[in-house]
Amino acid sequence: MASDTPKSVVFSPVFKNNPIALQVLGICSALAVTNSLSVSLVMGLAVIAVTSFSNLFVSLIRHHIPSSIRIIVQMTIIASLVIVVDQLLKAYAYEMSKQLSVFVGLIITNCIVMGRAEGYAMQNGPMMSFLDGVGNGLGYAVILLFVGFVRELLGSGSLFGLTILPAVQNGGWYVPNGLMLLPPSAFFVIGLLIWILRSFHPDQVEKTEYRIVANSKTKIKETA
Amino acid sequence: MASNNSIKKTLTVALTLCIVCSVIVSTAAVVLRPVQVANQELDRRSNILQVAQLYQPGIDVAEQFEQQITARVVNLETGEYAEELDAETYNQFDAAKDPASSRSLSGDDPVGLGRVENFATVYLVGDPENPEQIILPIRGQGLWGMMRGFLALEGDGNTIVGLSYYDHSETPGLGGEVDNPRWKAQWEGKQVYADNPMEPMIRLVKGGADSEYEADALSGATLTSRGVTNMLQFWLSEMGFAEYLARFHDNSQGGA
Amino acid sequence: MGIRKTLDNLEPHFHKGGKYEKFYALYEAVDTIFYAPPDVTKGTAHVRDGIDLKRIMITVWLCTFPAMFFGMYNAGLQANLAIENGYGAIGGWREAITLALAGGHDPGSIWANFVLGATWFLPIYLVTFVVGGFWEVLFAIKRGHEVNEGFFVTSVLFALILPPTIPLWQVALGITFGVVIGKEIFGGTGKNFLNPALTGRAFLYFAYPAQISGDAVWVAADGYTGATPLSMVVTDGMAGLTQLYTWMEAFLGFIPGSVGETSTLAILIGAVVLLLTRIASWRIMLGVFLGVVGTAMLFNAIGSETNPMFEMPWYWHLVVGGLAFGLVFMATDPVSASMTNKGKLIFGILIGVMTVLIRVVNPAFPEGIMLAILFANLFAPLIDHFIVQANIKRRQKREAAFNPVTEETA
Repeated sequence: MASDTPKSVVFSPVFKNNPIALQVLGICSALAVTNSLSVSLVMGLAVIAVTSFSNLFVSLIRHHIPSSIRIIVQMTIIASLVIVVDQLLKAYAYEMSKQLSVFVGLIITNCIVMGRAEGYAMQNGPMMSFLDGVGNGLGYAVILLFVGFVRELLGSGSLFGLTILPAVQNGGWYVPNGLMLLPPSAFFVIGLLIWILRSFHPDQVEKTEYRIVANSKTKIKETA
Repeated sequence: MASNNSIKKTLTVALTLCIVCSVIVSTAAVVLRPVQVANQELDRRSNILQVAQLYQPGIDVAEQFEQQITARVVNLETGEYAEELDAETYNQFDAAKDPASSRSLSGDDPVGLGRVENFATVYLVGDPENPEQIILPIRGQGLWGMMRGFLALEGDGNTIVGLSYYDHSETPGLGGEVDNPRWKAQWEGKQVYADNPMEPMIRLVKGGADSEYEADALSGATLTSRGVTNMLQFWLSEMGFAEYLARFHDNSQGGA
Repeated sequence: MGIRKTLDNLEPHFHKGGKYEKFYALYEAVDTIFYAPPDVTKGTAHVRDGIDLKRIMITVWLCTFPAMFFGMYNAGLQANLAIENGYGAIGGWREAITLALAGGHDPGSIWANFVLGATWFLPIYLVTFVVGGFWEVLFAIKRGHEVNEGFFVTSVLFALILPPTIPLWQVALGITFGVVIGKEIFGGTGKNFLNPALTGRAFLYFAYPAQISGDAVWVAADGYTGATPLSMVVTDGMAGLTQLYTWMEAFLGFIPGSVGETSTLAILIGAVVLLLTRIASWRIMLGVFLGVVGTAMLFNAIGSETNPMFEMPWYWHLVVGGLAFGLVFMATDPVSASMTNKGKLIFGILIGVMTVLIRVVNPAFPEGIMLAILFANLFAPLIDHFIVQANIKRRQKREAAFNPVTEETA
């Protein structure tokens, strides 16, 4: 990756090499916290903060990290950052932190953070690592916002809490889709998103693991 | 790189990292603690103001709460105020877990609480001696889990002002409709007791409430509705606040 | 031979390079409705038989007819009974058609009941067929495979497991989800691991629970609320159910419920045909039956003071709710069920056990067959895997026992 430019480092994870859509990482929180846009936004920002700073710090001390304990060192840095973010949210965005509940804490286990620290920050300079963290965090946040958009609009008929489609319960015409308020719906939304993305970028489609042989004749010949 | 893997270096790095990280984490926790506590308090207070229909966006919740609302701790058994407990610090949810300050509901537990505390915090709007509203904390099992909320009664301890839940996990669209403003609006003016002050009459009924002791059930959510009825019946009976509320019935009949 | 000739004349246009190359799937679909498919097996390894996928599917489709016709009659009967008791009819064009054809709401008249029921069921079926068929054809054209007759079955099954009063736009959404997410995403018929009709229903069940569960949706009369027998037991106990309906009534199907699921007798007629033609697996049916009976008896024996569902006997479990319908038509779907013989039995038992478990223990879902079948669908490949592995091991052992010498030298 010698040709990395700051711009490509930030933007390639957003569209081309998205951590959720292509690598299918960090799905757990994407399922749980995307039932409204505002919560998705806060979660996205929290992850951006954690990935970028953990990348920065890991990169800063990368020459001093003994390889035998490098995973633990990364985990410690990530965990500390997550706790700080969690405390900040509780202090300054209490409503949000109530809705996010344990999922801020679970950023620790988000594979994206760990993966970038181990896969990028350990080999690259602090500035680029920081940008890489921002980029991957952004890639995560973009998907979260998309899922949050679909789920809040269809599930509650609103966006950022503002009513867009007036619901029948409140005298409107829109019948809210209750499934969209349940976490499993994020599976469908993410799945459909990946489908759409890969229709436009066929190079993202994985190779099939095996093909069913069209006709058994050829095989018999081979063995015989 | 070789030096990085020596035992000495490994220990130094691990130790330094631990110290630095723990300092950062504990500083954050300590510095932000007061703000967080204030937030929780604010949240609880605005819930109370909302059920009392005093909440207006934009006003200072803390200030209004101080002006209008007094918290008191009530002995559920006798219905008297427990002056020895400070309402500011007493936490009835913690008390309910402690065998010393609670009683077991074994066998007779329609709301699924397990244990219920001996003392509960109530909030009085206006003059504490002759309140405009009495706000009671209630909780009980819904369909999927514990529902926690507040019930606001008028000064006669009998007419409902509002019922609202601040914490529940009911199915969105069915039981979750307890949050729907339209459903909540129907509670205003409903009556709790008829003749017997120990026997709450209020309940949810399917297919149209037609008396002041009945409210519309949540459509399609039989079990959530049953949970709401049970918890109202429980907390307004002798097991809950009935003894305490009885004093207000007399008040209102006396011409207050 | 007029049709054959017309089709043959048209055929070149649909082949590669022809004008309508893209629409080959449609041509093929029409062609095979009239004639047997042109491609036949030539090797010796295949048994040649008149039955193909198309005939299997048409047979299943015909087998649902008793349940479908009775369902229409019963939907009308339930509504007319409610109307006789003073509830208003739901107006609109349905009412106009009913009055024009039947002249009133007499629950004693078979014709009046049937017409009213048909005005509710047929639009559901029509919407299912048109919308689902649209997706089916779209994917067939896009992917270049054939339009599959399996959709005949999926569509009728989907329509039959909905309550009569469901809004038609929800029907359209449900079948869309069932066909696209439940089937086409995985590559179309034969590759879906879930039953598409049930997937569609499950989507509606979680998305719009107010229109597909509860008490108000089963009878098409204005403002009428009537619980299904299952939710009756949940709230009032077995006594509450037996007061209103006898077992025989439930067996014959004179109870409220989804259109096709009420009459166990009508479903059994279809089941007999399916079993005689060997289209449906008797092992799966037996498995479900055993699972239900065993679990129900277990709960009867345990007993419960607070949960009246514990006392429901197995013979009631079989005739109320969608169990019979699911057992006969859904569990036996050859694509999403287990393939091995032993696996089929285990698959069936799993469904039976889960159904009763959900019905009795889960407080939120009075009915369990839909979720139980979907659950078992997920396990079907795993069950097969273990059966096949066990078989391999067994044969290896036998091999070793018979030819110990070759084993050593090899």
